[in-house]
Amino acid sequence: MKALYSWIASHLRNPLAPAELAQRLTAVGLNVELREPWGRDEVWEVDVTTNRPDCLSHRGLAREAAAAEAGELKPLVVEVREGDTPVDALAKVAVEDPEGCPRYCARVIRGVRVGPSPPWLAERLTACGIRPINNVVDATNYVLFDLGHPLHAFDLAKLAGHEIRVRRAKPGERLVTLDGVERLLSPEDVVIADGEKPVALAGIMGGANSEITELTTAVLLESAYFDPVRVRRTRRRLGLDTEASRRFERGADRAMARMAVDAVAQLILELAGGELAKGILDTAPVLPTAKTIPLPLARLAAFAGCEIPEAFVRHLLERLEIPFTQGEGVLFCQVPSHRVDLELPEDLFEEVLRHWGYDRIPSVLPPQHGEPGTRQGSFPVTDRARDLAQALGLAEAVTYAFVPREVEEAFAASPLVAKGEPVVLENPLSARMAVMRRSLWSSLAEAATANLRRGAERVQLFEVGRVFFAQNGRVWEEERLAAILAGELGPWDGRRRVDFFDVKGLAEALAEGLGFSELTWESWGEPLAAGFGAVGRSSDTVVAVVGRLGERCSALFDAPRPLWGLEMVLDPGRSLPQPSFAELPRFPAVVADLTVRHPENLPYAQLVATVWQFAPPILERVEPVVRYRGEKVGPGEVKTTLRLTYRHPERSLTQEEVNAAHFALMEKLAHALGVTFT
Amino acid sequence: MLAELSEVRKAFDQALAAAGDDPRKLEEVRVRFAGRRSGVLRKLEEKLASLPREEKPAFGRGLNELKRYIETKLSEAATKAQASQVREEREDVTLPGRKPPLGALHPVTLVRRQVEEIFLRMGYSVADGPEVEDDWHNFEALNIPPDHPARDTQDTFYLPGGLLLRTHTSPVQIRTMERFKPPIRVIIPGRVYRRDSDLRHSPMFHQVEGLVVDKGISFAHLKATLEAFLHRLFDPSLKVRLRPSFFPFTEPSAEVDITCVMCRGGGCAVCSGSGWVEILGAGMVDPRVFRAVGIDPDQYTGFAFGLGLDRVAMLVYRIPDLRLLFSGDERLARQFPGGLAR
Repeated sequence: MKALYSWIASHLRNPLAPAELAQRLTAVGLNVELREPWGRDEVWEVDVTTNRPDCLSHRGLAREAAAAEAGELKPLVVEVREGDTPVDALAKVAVEDPEGCPRYCARVIRGVRVGPSPPWLAERLTACGIRPINNVVDATNYVLFDLGHPLHAFDLAKLAGHEIRVRRAKPGERLVTLDGVERLLSPEDVVIADGEKPVALAGIMGGANSEITELTTAVLLESAYFDPVRVRRTRRRLGLDTEASRRFERGADRAMARMAVDAVAQLILELAGGELAKGILDTAPVLPTAKTIPLPLARLAAFAGCEIPEAFVRHLLERLEIPFTQGEGVLFCQVPSHRVDLELPEDLFEEVLRHWGYDRIPSVLPPQHGEPGTRQGSFPVTDRARDLAQALGLAEAVTYAFVPREVEEAFAASPLVAKGEPVVLENPLSARMAVMRRSLWSSLAEAATANLRRGAERVQLFEVGRVFFAQNGRVWEEERLAAILAGELGPWDGRRRVDFFDVKGLAEALAEGLGFSELTWESWGEPLAAGFGAVGRSSDTVVAVVGRLGERCSALFDAPRPLWGLEMVLDPGRSLPQPSFAELPRFPAVVADLTVRHPENLPYAQLVATVWQFAPPILERVEPVVRYRGEKVGPGEVKTTLRLTYRHPERSLTQEEVNAAHFALMEKLAHALGVTFT
Repeated sequence: MLAELSEVRKAFDQALAAAGDDPRKLEEVRVRFAGRRSGVLRKLEEKLASLPREEKPAFGRGLNELKRYIETKLSEAATKAQASQVREEREDVTLPGRKPPLGALHPVTLVRRQVEEIFLRMGYSVADGPEVEDDWHNFEALNIPPDHPARDTQDTFYLPGGLLLRTHTSPVQIRTMERFKPPIRVIIPGRVYRRDSDLRHSPMFHQVEGLVVDKGISFAHLKATLEAFLHRLFDPSLKVRLRPSFFPFTEPSAEVDITCVMCRGGGCAVCSGSGWVEILGAGMVDPRVFRAVGIDPDQYTGFAFGLGLDRVAMLVYRIPDLRLLFSGDERLARQFPGGLAR
């Protein structure tokens, strides 16, 4: 809130100079964020935390300053000059919604002369960011900023039946508030009504129909206590944040209601003249009993980690205007009505610690008794994935988890996406952040495109993050790794375009590093380009999708080069592989190449599976050396050269036995697959 | 007869000169003149055998001389050719090598790991929790009931079914205390979401939460822990300052400032001239939070703290703009090759 130094100081005897006073307030948790000169005075911006509505006033700040030894708080004395006419002869107050309005105090002044406020008052209000209006309205604002209690002045003549009824709004009821906007009310709202109609939105803003004008002569002054939750709900629904609502929804001071109405009445008499009716219309003159909280001194010391002298505590409580009685090692504190934040002993500990000074509390590391720390949850798997991706030369990106709906849906055909519905935000920031991604590609592909547009010749990005699914009212999230490659790879003298086997190879390396059993691959279409997409399965579950992003995606992102993607599941429940030692081979291997001429539609995987099906026990490894298609084979045919490694664990192989095994294998392959070896 | 020898010598000299340093041509020359089966010298030897006796000595001497001459010349030429060959195979060592790209981690990952490392050494575990949360864990159990003014400060993204995107990592405090009995020492890094986007706010960002619950945990313990952590993370010489503040789930609460790492306290744009930068929020666990998870606040006390990892990354690596972190710009991470921490 904005505050004027001199105004705070006016509540103090022997106040400190501005700089010191600001520093003391900051030190106890009322952060003076900004100090600006205001003539010879200073205007401050004080950051008042939501738990301290009592500090949203100059008196409240002065009280804290006094507790921080920046002066002594002057007693608050309010005297009023009442006339002879009893107030109940002039107006009536009835609270029909006591839950919404536990206390309503009203006074009436007749014969006021509405006009401009004197300069000293107008200036103080201006300094605090309030536009002066007229002496009556300004008086209510002045007392609000002085004592912290919101007030309202009605033109009594405009109140039908000269009565106030505090009630729930009726369905469909409307009120034009002082800002000129017509508000549709709901029965949840507390309204101030007269005999006929609503005249104010309780605790938030007055109505235009009962506004003080230059013609006003009789004023009804309202000083009430409204329920914080009800004020807050109405304020939020209507989006109407006012000085009054801010205080009521955080918790106003019930006791102050009566003192504030006196203060404002007296001020109006001084500014606008008139005669104050005798007495106050007060619907709840008896206050609830103050709560008592024990402040056990031994527990305070244990909580703080150091001794804090009892004398300091007692002195502080007095300065904070918290009455207490002495017990055995404990002070019983009575919560004053302005301190809505005090409920538990710990709340009192806070009072003591912040005023004692956090800097005066020693630093002591807690004793270690517990087991050594471990990484839990998804971190062992996700960080392993990050390390692997990094080791494979990729650079990590972090992109937003919410994406445009049409982008998200472009990936819907991926088997890793189709497992649930997208999670839609109810209140997105924009259409570009409308739904939670089910594939990391939906945001990473855009980042990759942006890199290409910036002129990057190659993109090698990865991200580890979560994707989100909804199904039958259930929402769940999964950890994923995705990568996008684009442009040209390779060294300066061997550059080549990214192709399918780059992303597949990455997936294979990652799968190996993450301990998946060897993946089986099968081609896959949308969202990938036909003929250039595949899924990898581990024990029948799809764990990886790789390939070139298809037409639909390319069109969405308008990428200047083809985007090659890889997405993998990272299941935190799986335990990472625990490598164990296997005896190293002691005998040499014999390597023999085998060139197989076969139809194009015989997949490599089937060829190799057949090799293993007929493999002699000494066959250790099979890997491809070259795949040839061209003039030397017929149409629809290819040649695949396999490198076969033979080894016996216990002795050296002779060339003869390898040859025998090799030729036997060839014969079986020829028989089983109809392939040739020329 | 001897004239023939001098002609062979002339022819050899011409052929050798023509071959230059080319090893293939030199070999041709060698075969032509000194080849064992049909070289010129071989033919001359055959001729020597068929000469009349009186002509043999002179021709023989001449031939031997020619042989020595050719062998010497061939050997010289071979050596020279070899030397020039070596010179030709030399690399221009100033050309770049075929450097495989070093992978790189995001600066937020790097600082997260630094933070984890420090706390793991102090006996903390690292845990995580869901990013989609319910109201209980994100708000109510943390002493933020419905209609609490503190909800205004955390603009929330809502999902169907009363769910929401967690606005802080604090709900994992609740989940941890619901699952485990004290003593608890845990830090919880993770992504969080708030409905806020401008120069200094991103709708998605990263926090690390810390929680310690045990018998006899005091404010002094909190203070020392934060100081030890911040000194290790940044610099042992920087000052740490705790200011009273308010969070619904801690009582009392503190905002923690460190000496501005840019200007070392002198005042600059990063710290708005104050010499301090706010780095984290902390406090003693509010007893209402303990009650919400069934821990007896008369037996146990604890402290909690939270810090924004993105801000730490910006301070540690001098990154001027928050939005860069979420741009997916590959040049950002590549500035930290090999996952090098500071």
